[in-house]
Parts: sequence; C-alpha cells; structure tokens
Amino acid sequence: MSLKNIDELNSLQMDVLTELGNIGSGNAATSLSNLVGKEIIINVPKVKILGFNEAVDFVGGPENLVVGVLIKLLGDIEGLILYIFEKNFVSTILNTFFGKDFDINIKLDDMDESTLKEIGNIMASSYVNAIGSMTDLFIDISVPSICVDMAGAILSVPAIEFAKLGNKVLFIDDSFSIGEDIIKSKMILVPEMDSLYLLFKKLGVDV
Amino acid sequence: MDKKILLVDDAAFMRMMLKSSLAKSGYENILEAADGEIACTVYQEEKPDLVIMDITMPNKTGIEALRDIKAMDPNAKIVMCSAMGQEALVVEAIKLGALDFIVKPFKPERILQTVSKILG
Repeated sequence: MSLKNIDELNSLQMDVLTELGNIGSGNAATSLSNLVGKEIIINVPKVKILGFNEAVDFVGGPENLVVGVLIKLLGDIEGLILYIFEKNFVSTILNTFFGKDFDINIKLDDMDESTLKEIGNIMASSYVNAIGSMTDLFIDISVPSICVDMAGAILSVPAIEFAKLGNKVLFIDDSFSIGEDIIKSKMILVPEMDSLYLLFKKLGVDV
Repeated sequence: MDKKILLVDDAAFMRMMLKSSLAKSGYENILEAADGEIACTVYQEEKPDLVIMDITMPNKTGIEALRDIKAMDPNAKIVMCSAMGQEALVVEAIKLGALDFIVKPFKPERILQTVSKILG
C-alpha cells in the first residue's frame, strides 16, 4: 500500500508530521540563535495541511512582497522546502549582521542574498538533520536559490509540485521571539509521496 | 600569523564571518573559493596550510573536493564545516581524510580552537 496524496493522511500520520515540525522548528531556532548570537525562543509552531490558495493567504496574500528561499531535498527523502521570509524577519537579520534597514522595494545586494540563502540552508538542515537522526535516512539538500517577489508568484514554484500531490502541502508557521521582537518565518514542505511513505515506515507508523 | 588558510563556501556571507573570526585571532593570510572546483585550483596553486570547506556547493561538492585535494596532496589539512551534520556524511568525510567536522552554525571559538589545534 502507498500514499497517493497528502489528503490521505490520517490523524496519527498528521501527528507525526506535526511532531517533526515541532522538533525541526526547535532545532532551527537553536541554529538561528547560534548564528545571530542572541537568545531566540520559539513559540509553538503551527503545522497545517493547506491548499495552494490557503497557503498564499497565510503568507499575507498574493501581492505581499516576500523573500523566498527554495531548497530541494535529495537522497532517501525527496521533495522541496520553500522558506518564506517576511519583511520583519529579513529586517531583523540584516540589521543584526550589517546594521542596515531593509526596504523590500529595494533590490537585495549580493551579501544580503548570500546571508538569507545561508539562513535558509541552516534552518532547512536543522529539519533534515533531525529527520535523519530519527529515521537513519540520508537526506541531502541542494544549494539554495532566492527570490524577492510577490507571495503568489513565489508560491507558484512549488505549486507545480502541489498538483502532483493532490493540491495540498505541509505548512509550518514559525514564530521566534528575540527579546521583545517577534519574527516569523513560514516553511512549506512538499515531499514526494514515496518519500513520505518511507518516512512513516521508518518511524513505525502504519501506512 | 603567516599561515595560509583557504575558506571554501558558496555563501559569501559565511566566508565573511569565518574570515572576520580568523582575523581577530591573527590569521590574516586568507584565501577564498566559492565552490569545490575553484578550491581544487586554488589549492594546487597556493598550497594553503589549512582548508575549511563547506559541503553543499555548486559545480563540485565539498566531499568531492576533499577527495580530489587529498589525491593531489595526501598531507592536505582539511576541516569540513557544513550545516549538513548527518552521521553518514561526517563518517564519509573523516574516512576521506578530513581532520574535523564542524556543524553550522558554530560559535567562533569552536573554529578557532580547531584551527589553533591543527596549525599549532
């Protein structure tokens, strides 16, 4: 038996993905904290299965300007991760490292892009390393790519993958507290269904 | 210090952070490469005393470059520095001759301790 689309997940399987989301987010928060050199507390992440239109609304609507960092998953688990960083996340990061204000209407320079790609890389690796150590699966990741565009346009990239999976994707809404500031990142995970099946099998979950 | 260190990472941001940490400890002779292919060329030309290398890079990965540089120079001193900390990768890198494997993000002290231990 195999999973054909993400809509077929039962409540136990959803719980598993939610827990992986929690663990991954916790690791990502630790990584982010080490990188920026400040204490970062993760608030309880929200893990949902969403359709494309709902996902677009969750990132502020199709015309909301955001930064997208896309990373492909390779190896035992295939799929892709898309990070959506909204303005306040990017501002905090660029201000922390370079003391600069961020205007989303102005093109990011090479160093800004490099920084955000590396953050996406490190955060995605936090999830991948967590899944790998729990399942003994090997997951590689691609070099990240970055884009600043309207949310609708950026989300259209994985939308092609959405279509293969029954139009729904795993959406993890992370909120981090740095002192009194709250910054948010949103992660969209689009796994290949065979990979999801393997993941559940490795975790001893009936599929 | 006159020791030559080659930093290999496709992220200019990460090379900048490493370079800054190393400079604070007096390591100022720093070379840079943005992928494994360039790293191999620079290694051949410059023979650095130490290489600090990322894994996930375009053109040639850090693991491939590690293999190629060690083939060129079995005494090459290479430390891997990557966000990918899965056990299989760490084991593979050490088997290929990497002296250490540091998972990103790291505290600067970790890198400096490793560099100091290797370069003496």
